Amino acid sequence: MPIRLLPPEVAGQIAAGEVVERPASVVKELIENSIDAAATDIRVEISEGGQRLIRVADNGCGIPAEEVTMAFARHATSKLTCVADLERITTLGFRGEALASIAAVSQVTLLTRPASQAAGQFLRVETGQIVRQESRACPAGTIVTVEHLFRNVPARLKFLRQPQTETGHIYRVVTHYAMAFPHLRFSLIADGRLAFQSAGNGQLRDVLLAVYGLDTVEQMIELRQEEDASSPPLSVLGFIGSPSLHRATRDSLAFFVNRRWVQDRSLSHAVAEAYHTFLPTGRHPVAIVLLEMDAAEVDVNVHPTKREVKFRNPQRVFATVQRTVRHTLINRARESVTAFSSRTWPSPEWQRHRTLFPSEEGLFTTHRLAALELYRADKDDRAPGFHPDQEPQPVGPIRLPLLRVVGQVGGTYIVAEGPQGMYLIDQHAAHERVLYEQMLADYRRQEVASQTLLEPLLLDLDPLLAGVLTEHLTTLHGAGFLIEPFGGTSFLLRAVPSILAVPDVRAALLDILELMHQNDHPLADQVENRLMAAVCKRAAVKAGQTLSYEEMEQLVRRLEQCESPRTCPHGRPTILHFSVEQLEKEFGRR
Amino acid sequence: MKISCLQENLAKGLATVGRAVATRSTLPVLSNILMESDRGRLRLAATNLEIGISCWIGARVEEEGRTTVPARLLTEFVNSLPSGQIDMELIERTQTLNLKCARYEANIKGIDPAEFPDVPTAESLGEPGGLPLQTETFRRMIERVVFAAATDESRPILTGVLAQFYQGGLTLAAADGFRLSVTSADVGAELDETAKIIIPARALAELNRISGDQEEPIQLIVTPTRNQVLFHLTNTDLVAQLIEGNFPDYKQIIPKTYNTRAVVNTQELLKAVKVAFLFARDAANIIRFQILPGTELSPGQMIVAATSAEFGDNVSELDATVTGDKIEIAFNARYLIDVLSVVGTTEVALETSTPSSPGVVRPVGGDDFVCVIMPMHISR
Repeated sequence: MPIRLLPPEVAGQIAAGEVVERPASVVKELIENSIDAAATDIRVEISEGGQRLIRVADNGCGIPAEEVTMAFARHATSKLTCVADLERITTLGFRGEALASIAAVSQVTLLTRPASQAAGQFLRVETGQIVRQESRACPAGTIVTVEHLFRNVPARLKFLRQPQTETGHIYRVVTHYAMAFPHLRFSLIADGRLAFQSAGNGQLRDVLLAVYGLDTVEQMIELRQEEDASSPPLSVLGFIGSPSLHRATRDSLAFFVNRRWVQDRSLSHAVAEAYHTFLPTGRHPVAIVLLEMDAAEVDVNVHPTKREVKFRNPQRVFATVQRTVRHTLINRARESVTAFSSRTWPSPEWQRHRTLFPSEEGLFTTHRLAALELYRADKDDRAPGFHPDQEPQPVGPIRLPLLRVVGQVGGTYIVAEGPQGMYLIDQHAAHERVLYEQMLADYRRQEVASQTLLEPLLLDLDPLLAGVLTEHLTTLHGAGFLIEPFGGTSFLLRAVPSILAVPDVRAALLDILELMHQNDHPLADQVENRLMAAVCKRAAVKAGQTLSYEEMEQLVRRLEQCESPRTCPHGRPTILHFSVEQLEKEFGRR
Repeated sequence: MKISCLQENLAKGLATVGRAVATRSTLPVLSNILMESDRGRLRLAATNLEIGISCWIGARVEEEGRTTVPARLLTEFVNSLPSGQIDMELIERTQTLNLKCARYEANIKGIDPAEFPDVPTAESLGEPGGLPLQTETFRRMIERVVFAAATDESRPILTGVLAQFYQGGLTLAAADGFRLSVTSADVGAELDETAKIIIPARALAELNRISGDQEEPIQLIVTPTRNQVLFHLTNTDLVAQLIEGNFPDYKQIIPKTYNTRAVVNTQELLKAVKVAFLFARDAANIIRFQILPGTELSPGQMIVAATSAEFGDNVSELDATVTGDKIEIAFNARYLIDVLSVVGTTEVALETSTPSSPGVVRPVGGDDFVCVIMPMHISR
């Protein structure tokens, strides 16, 4: 077969395949155009999952009549002029491919009018060819209508999912742009119903409220970046879920680099690392992270869909994100929104909440309304007649509510009650967490107490564990193990951390070495954390151990003082909460 | 079975055997007490399969018989009865025990005694060569060592107390890996051969509890199979499983020399340690000692200090007679409280050599007791 130049429509479809993957990609490209056109109100309308109809209407700058036909040519754009501009891309689009690609695989109708011109332009393009052009009356801005997407690309059509699934993808695109641009108003109308609308008042929290609902947003914390004087400036903004909020997939992690929604494994990893020990294993945090940096510090010209970016200094970005998220989590203090959390046991206090917000029981239940009011009051900093000191919880770092021990179940769980209901505490996991934080604090102050053994213990290890031990000898020493090499794979154990003062220290140490070996991690401070976690796992009370009331009380008190009491150092939950509402519902009281 | 006895006697007997009742057992009969007529007396027995206690009380037996009844119910019921005579009658067919006392009457449902494990007594063993031990001496010896035994089961041998007999005397030793307590005394035993057994510390602690008003010597009997030990008291027998294995060689652990020796008043030191413990209990029980030799003008000093990162700190000073060098060393407060509570002499000596060598506590004016405590230190 001779080599030939492909006909333009074939080349166009091939290129379109990269940009337009599914209806959501079309929506993405069109929204980006609207945003770049300085629109403040962007309406997206779809039908049958976008396959039949996608319409994006904005109130942006419009396209002047003389440029309209150029808009559909490949590599035609108003956003760049020279190669140097590629270095500093500040607009979302720049490749000049979007409209051409969309037009290659569908029927596109464009209706546009710049505010300065009296009449708008109407343009109809079918599979890349302009079939009709005329002047028409229209509002200022641009309306792009895409119909019969992929009709001429049966291969693509076959791969489209159910309309509901495609609608879901479009919903994700629209909501994510709404998060990135909280000062713009976005609406999504799917099959004639309003599916999403953001207020466009510039408050990210209000956008999140519209996307996730009050229940979730209540549990989210605003990111607070530590002072960062280094240059070039790198700011990290956004909201992250408190550790009690977690999901089964990573879908609730969203990253925006200079307001561009991107997918980046290293950023996901940075957030996951920051949540280390806070979340149950296999669960993922909820986080909306907005990175702002100099345009020259990031290359967005990596992939036609622009979902991937390259950082000039990836380590710094990674470290800054991780540090900021971690810092916010640890200092979440008052933001931990216990003030907004669900209702307490019926009490005079509760009655007062009721009388404060007597009406409008239809839309919200009373507590929700109260929570919403509280939230608004807090935000506006006016708080008429509502001050934190009226809350049942003390002001200051609120980690767990004050709990009263009721008893023990199965020698394994502690039953406790708090203002918001009943709590079940796993005694082993809780004790692990308590010991872990105590030991970590001691370790940081370099004050780990160790207890000398009556007789030095001779350890003959297999070469594997001997290697682990030799490698981490100083770390072990810092954690309170006094071990001396005794030739070959033999070691003398002279002292153990005082919390591990059990008769069978040999078995304990072997367990710990095995755990360290299994969790081998390249980062240095991780080794220490994992060693501590292993020591605490070994030293904590076991399930099945009967505890006296005083012991349980003591354990719960100490758990309340922990930085992150809700998970054990290995990420299993320590505490389960049964809310008053839940109990009332189960017993048919409400 | 038809038996009458006095409420006081029965209540006391039940309290004696009560500690051997299993509280959490999958075998229901173990939470019962065995009651049987035994040649004009009433025998009560309980066991948790680790230890077993039998107790005999005076009774009038009209009809022989035996049964087992729930320990807790019977004990609480008998304790609430007025002092006076209790008449008990067993309805064999239903294993129900009928109790009558003054104007109270109760029927308690029991379990067939055939299910109850055999609790050996001195008599059932035929008393083969019981070894009499002076009660008071033996009780004090137990007190001085049981605290040092391990409570954790991970090394079973350390939950026991080594009892080593020699000509006329007995040595008891217990250790939990971090401390060692050894005491020897002449217990008045007529024994030619040396013998070693390891007795569970729990059994010895129980023995001390039930032998409070024992005046006669305690008879120690090792079963012919050498797997059980039985202590025979006047009206009570306590039997326990011996622990098999080799007890660590404790003699080499006791230091033979020291660089510093401080002699202080036992009660004053105990008090200072207890005060320091208030602060140390959040910080791994660690308390620090500073031992300063005296000069020509001032006596030696022992300074006891504890620091809690969260709550504060505390320092106490004691006068001490110090020989040797100045030293700083740290110990677990709990270990010191345990030993100082049982030293029993007015003055006590603390000997050590370096901050990482063992601390040795000895009574002043007696070489029958020594306790070795390993120091603690802060890793840096």
